[in-house]
Amino acid sequence: MKALILKDFYVLWKQMRMIMLILILMSVVGGVFNSVFVTVWCSMLPFTAIAYDERSHWNQLAAMMPYSKRDIVLSKYALGWLSMAAAIVLSLVFQTAAAVFTHEAPALSTWAVSFLGGVMALDFTLPMVFRFGVEKGRWGFMIIVFGVALLGGAAAGMAEELPGVPVPVLALLLLAAAVATAVSIPLSMKLYQVN
Amino acid sequence: MNAIELSHIQKSFGEFAIRDLNLTVPSGTICGLVGENGAGKSTTIRLLMNALRPDGGTARVLGVDVTTPEFRAVKEDVGVVLDEAYYPETLTAVQVGKVMAGTYRRWDQGTYDGFLRRFDLPGKKPFKDFSRGMKMKLAIAVALSHQPKLLILDEATSGLDPIVRDEVLDIFNEFTREEDHSILISSHIVSDLEKLCDYIAFLHKGQLLFFDGKDQLLETYGVFAGTAEQMGSLREEAVVGREAGGCGGVRALVRRDGVPAGLELERATVEDIILFMVKGAKK
Repeated sequence: MKALILKDFYVLWKQMRMIMLILILMSVVGGVFNSVFVTVWCSMLPFTAIAYDERSHWNQLAAMMPYSKRDIVLSKYALGWLSMAAAIVLSLVFQTAAAVFTHEAPALSTWAVSFLGGVMALDFTLPMVFRFGVEKGRWGFMIIVFGVALLGGAAAGMAEELPGVPVPVLALLLLAAAVATAVSIPLSMKLYQVN
Repeated sequence: MNAIELSHIQKSFGEFAIRDLNLTVPSGTICGLVGENGAGKSTTIRLLMNALRPDGGTARVLGVDVTTPEFRAVKEDVGVVLDEAYYPETLTAVQVGKVMAGTYRRWDQGTYDGFLRRFDLPGKKPFKDFSRGMKMKLAIAVALSHQPKLLILDEATSGLDPIVRDEVLDIFNEFTREEDHSILISSHIVSDLEKLCDYIAFLHKGQLLFFDGKDQLLETYGVFAGTAEQMGSLREEAVVGREAGGCGGVRALVRRDGVPAGLELERATVEDIILFMVKGAKK
């Protein structure tokens, strides 16, 4: 699976550089919306990787190699998780550095909500994309991502008015994300088709 | 041991179907898979590698049933080149090497680098800027760099210029010097297969029309060229196919054992045999 993640990393490297630049800019600006925006953007990277795979018919080639269906499916989830986690860590580093000037401490709980929202966005959309492909699954994917971003933004907005996201809410979100992931991965494996 | 065994394979896609496909490629040999576009060559390869589930029958590669979990380990021993399925377009040859190093346990970076130099492939140029010939060369380099025992090549020589094609055929020949190394190669370029293969399998509309040793085929068939009158004297069972020749003459593919001993026949090429069979010109 590591090889597949490495392949996607190479494929997406140019876009990742762009994201890093935007991260730096947003970290200076700060704000809750930015954290949601960056996380949602990173959660979409697996779809870009799948689109590249489809264009080159990589999946047909991968089916000839010693990868299991589980490796192929799981690598896309892992790519999303790693991208979001890396974006959050980098963003926190930049925000902490920017705090010297802005005197605005980074809101950890907001990032946690964004991450869990991103995980759930992946959980809802990836099975559909594995079944129908990026092109056909695009509309459903857009609706779900838009919905998650909207809900995440609203939740983060409410959280902004509180000193932090209440722990029970975070725990509930964590549980929801874990359940969604536990259902989504086997479903994706069932629906995965070699295009 | 047989490198490949397909037994009574059935696979239907509605209008097109692979029907009762039986094919056995002994270890240490090269088998050419011939057929027109849409004959089922790529489907056969996908069935062989368990990328498609058959509706019936069994497939074994290097002695292992492809539907068992053990087959994943067998894939380490199989190098595959596919027609029209490539690496993602932004990857470079160097990056492909790094990805493959994480994919195959016996990946040999030295061999891969050697092939990149031999094929004159740029290491840092994105795959999307490669010509079709370069893409095929990269795929061949990958297929040969993880110490495979079996090569499965789908149109691997198409798009290559004649000089490189010849070099690639030499590499394939070199590969089978090891007695447990085998190749299944599909190609439209029948002359390549005639040069390379020990066995020829001919697929037509999802059915295997023949599977025979190349030498056996060439010994079995001959080409008769003569007048329609001479043609008429031949036994109908001996004539596989016929076509109009020049100056009102007739050419026909005949079975050597079905014609009179003294009759002069031209040597049939594999291409002749296939074309006469496909045309179904026998009347």
